[in-house]
Amino acid sequence: MSKEREPLFSAKNRKLITNPLHVDNPITVQVLGICSALAVTAKLKPSFVMMLSVIAVLTLANVIISILRNGIPPRIRIIVMLTVIASLVILVDQVLKAFVYDVSKQLSVFVGLIITNCIIMGRLEAFASANKPWPSLLDGFGNALGYGWVLIAVGFTRELFGSGTLWDYQIIPQAFYDIGYQNNGFMILPPMALIVVGIIIWIQRARSPQLIEEN
Amino acid sequence: MQELFNIFVKSIFVDNMVFAYFLGMCSYLAVSKTVETSFGLGLAVIFVLGITVPVDYLLNLYVLQPSALTWINPGFVDVDLSFLSFIVFISVIASMVQLVEMVVEKFSPTLYASLGIFLPLIAVNCAILGGSLFMQEREYQSLAQATSFGLGSGVGFFLAIVGIAAIREKIRYSNVPGPLRGLGITFIITGLMGIAFMSFLGIKL
Amino acid sequence: MYSNAYIFRYAAIMVVVVAAVLSSAATFLKPMQQRNQAVDKMQSILAAAGKYDVSVDEAIPIFNEFITNMIVIDQDGNILDDYTGDKKEESEAFNINLKTELFNKSQNRDYRLPMYVVDNPDGKIYIIPLLGAGLWGPVWGNIALGEDFSRVLGVTFDHKSETPGLGAEINTPSFQNQFNGKQILDDQGRFVSIQVVKGGVSNFPANVQKHKVDAISGGTITSNGVNDMIENVLESYVPFFNKQG
Repeated sequence: MSKEREPLFSAKNRKLITNPLHVDNPITVQVLGICSALAVTAKLKPSFVMMLSVIAVLTLANVIISILRNGIPPRIRIIVMLTVIASLVILVDQVLKAFVYDVSKQLSVFVGLIITNCIIMGRLEAFASANKPWPSLLDGFGNALGYGWVLIAVGFTRELFGSGTLWDYQIIPQAFYDIGYQNNGFMILPPMALIVVGIIIWIQRARSPQLIEEN
Repeated sequence: MQELFNIFVKSIFVDNMVFAYFLGMCSYLAVSKTVETSFGLGLAVIFVLGITVPVDYLLNLYVLQPSALTWINPGFVDVDLSFLSFIVFISVIASMVQLVEMVVEKFSPTLYASLGIFLPLIAVNCAILGGSLFMQEREYQSLAQATSFGLGSGVGFFLAIVGIAAIREKIRYSNVPGPLRGLGITFIITGLMGIAFMSFLGIKL
Repeated sequence: MYSNAYIFRYAAIMVVVVAAVLSSAATFLKPMQQRNQAVDKMQSILAAAGKYDVSVDEAIPIFNEFITNMIVIDQDGNILDDYTGDKKEESEAFNINLKTELFNKSQNRDYRLPMYVVDNPDGKIYIIPLLGAGLWGPVWGNIALGEDFSRVLGVTFDHKSETPGLGAEINTPSFQNQFNGKQILDDQGRFVSIQVVKGGVSNFPANVQKHKVDAISGGTITSNGVNDMIENVLESYVPFFNKQG
């Protein structure tokens, strides 16, 4: 190819990371990965763990599929992608179980959630299967990060108001409870996660009106 | 027979995949813009769940669970393939979805176009993997029970998505604050519907 | 367009590669995983009996020293095996598959159950392993009973995949410590188990409060699973309690 090589962090490549954080956010704009966002955000800590796992799996899976992209027959592409994701996750789980059992106990909950996280499948299908490995890596990383910050925001809100703690440390002082403050039990139920995400969407779109849908 | 019916009704209302367990949210939120497309997606989910749950039931019974392979050779008592559950279930689901995709593409190109990226995403629709995992966890005693659970869960999803699509079609005539229009208000309505459905929780049939 | 032959070849190669990688990983890592699981089980048993914070390396020797008898009983409460040697991780009681035995129980077949005994100068401790179903996957644990087979000295619970922040809270000390000092038998010595209840234990009549603990808010199905687990497992030991008591 005679075309000049693109610099590693060209403007186009940087956009792959920054776009998913805001205007192309996987949760609030692309509507991907909602189930797991509801399941893990009752507390801050699991939200954070989930973010790290998704960063690792999505980046890796994006690169693998991008390398394989020219050989995958379109008719069986879904199975191939899912097999790659599932084997990756199971392999990591097995290794953790053998060497760092404590960590694996913490993570075992997330194994199923990561395999079925549509954000991973969505990015493989929409981006990695048509792009080169390096942009795919950036895209995977950016999307996982965009997914992560919403998770952290929801986890923060729900833990603070639902349990009065953050990262399991008591934040709301005992004095508040003494004068009649009560934790909002609704906050830790899954429906409230939906409503909190709805409010995040509201704030986000109020600040960037180009995202507003027609109806 | 009555027991099968109980499982069916229970998985539609009490254990509704969308409102009680919040599974299958991505396609639920994204494809519920009109009643017509959500009808199509709902039918696809009923079909896929109705097939994958019984198939995965048989696989679990005869291949995956500890000492399941004794029907081949009594010597396989110690073989435990349950670590393969995830990948086996998801492969069955993915092949079913691929099948549905081919059928829909052939017979209804309009539906195919409107489902777009979400048809492959049924494969990772957590409601469907969730169906198989619940089936494994709740240890249904027969193929018929597993099937009626699969179909019931599918119908539950169908009702939920058609319901929200109908609300979204109506809400277009309401004066929703600009930034909340579309996705935002859908999230909030789903949350409220979920709270309403919690009243079914705990009903024993 | 790819030919069907290519698709089949591709799928076949993929299946072989994935199967080879996953099963070799499972086979090679199995001994280490099993050791980790055994150590984890011992830590959980010791914690139920009041020995917290046992490190991974010490778990096996401490377990062998602290636990004195590894008993296996049948459904009528007869003792089938009583192991007192010093390789307790190889004893029959430690390796009983509780899931299979409880399945046999639900099918009205014969079953065997394990029990771990600590013979302290201050009195015996009986530790019973529990297993049941939560919302998304199995829940399990251990319950330590005093010499009267009624007073709870400690419990530990764990789970495979309950919802973080809700059902998953069953493995926290704040939930488990509530069980300490509760009774599984009523004043007449009948088995009543312990119920996890919503809405506050203090709203119940004083004479049944010793059989109740507070549920985790938002974890209804997991709490019900814990209830069923405790009742289903402990009731199987009642014939044994009666024979001993």
